[in-house]
Amino acid sequence: MRPLNVLSAVAGCALALALAPKSLHAQAPEGHGIAGFWSMAPGPMPPRREPTPVEAELIASFPEGAVLLADAGAIEFPPGEYGGLDVHASLRDAAKSYDPENQTDAFLTCRPPGLIYSMQGPFPIEIFEGRDLIVIKLEYFDLVRVIFMNETEHPDDWPLSQTGHSFGRWEGDTLVVDTAKLMPGTLFNNGVDYTENVRLRERFRLADPNTLVVTQEFEDPGSFTGTAARIMSFRRGDDHVYPYDCDPTYGIAIESRQGRE
Amino acid sequence: MAWISKLSLVLLLAGGAAFAHHSAPVFYKVDERITISGTVTEFRFTNPHAILKLEVESEDGEKQQWTAETTSPSVLRRRGWSQASFQPGEKVKLEGMPSIDGSFLIRITRAFREDGTEIGVPPGTDN
Repeated sequence: MRPLNVLSAVAGCALALALAPKSLHAQAPEGHGIAGFWSMAPGPMPPRREPTPVEAELIASFPEGAVLLADAGAIEFPPGEYGGLDVHASLRDAAKSYDPENQTDAFLTCRPPGLIYSMQGPFPIEIFEGRDLIVIKLEYFDLVRVIFMNETEHPDDWPLSQTGHSFGRWEGDTLVVDTAKLMPGTLFNNGVDYTENVRLRERFRLADPNTLVVTQEFEDPGSFTGTAARIMSFRRGDDHVYPYDCDPTYGIAIESRQGRE
Repeated sequence: MAWISKLSLVLLLAGGAAFAHHSAPVFYKVDERITISGTVTEFRFTNPHAILKLEVESEDGEKQQWTAETTSPSVLRRRGWSQASFQPGEKVKLEGMPSIDGSFLIRITRAFREDGTEIGVPPGTDN
């Protein structure tokens, strides 16, 4: 039951942070300005539009040859589209038998699609900044991330989970987060998954006090060659992330639709 | 409950694991729009997507039971929707994406009451 214990600890930690904002500020009186509620900015993201100066600077920091994926935000790739990423042929072939109806199966409908895909989806996040921890609550499927600011490596015995193990550091005004120990999750929600060996590197930088730019870079030799990247902009809002509390009977309602062949 | 584990395993091995993002492009013609009008029979305002059931009478008088899907109530609440947005027996008009498989399924993009009043705020993005 160790994974459950860890998840419980993570959830408890997030709850404690959420309920004690004063002590948070006491721990980090300066902060870096990223705490708060953030919604995905509407409209397309690069490369579907020209990047802003801050976005361009972050894109320039991607490793040479990185593939900037054009599915950040509300955009979704259809089956068979991988955004120019060199996905292994065996996985492309396997994806041909992927049945998207499984997404509404009552057993699986509340299973999160994986952290990497979830972070770029059009749902809000809420960030709590402490001294040793930064906690990110995703409204999507109630995911809670803990980023250890006082660690520099991933423990070998850390269990695989939806949110993995993350450590971070500030490089000037940019929060750089490295994540591993992720359970396999979907790359594009169309039948190809990354493996448990995927490594995710993210950068969080304020373009202005109300605009947060986030990038993803991830590598997974088990599912594709090279580096994949995304860039997203969030807008600050006066709100909070609320419980998602997924209802699995949603799948039954969709599956029982009339006129289905 | 070993059969559940076996079922899940089979699904997970079939061309990538089944993760639940409930993708619009695999169920709907996202670039097309249709309009339907009917009578609400049920409304479920729960995540991951709210569901509206309604009875629609076709041109030849056939009574069709439609399922209308929306985005997440978490998102809809910020657009002014609530569990009280639709009541059974109420007549509504829905605009949205038609299903790919031709079933009586629509992904709502806008919703209107019988008097033409729009329900909630139109989406800037659709989740």
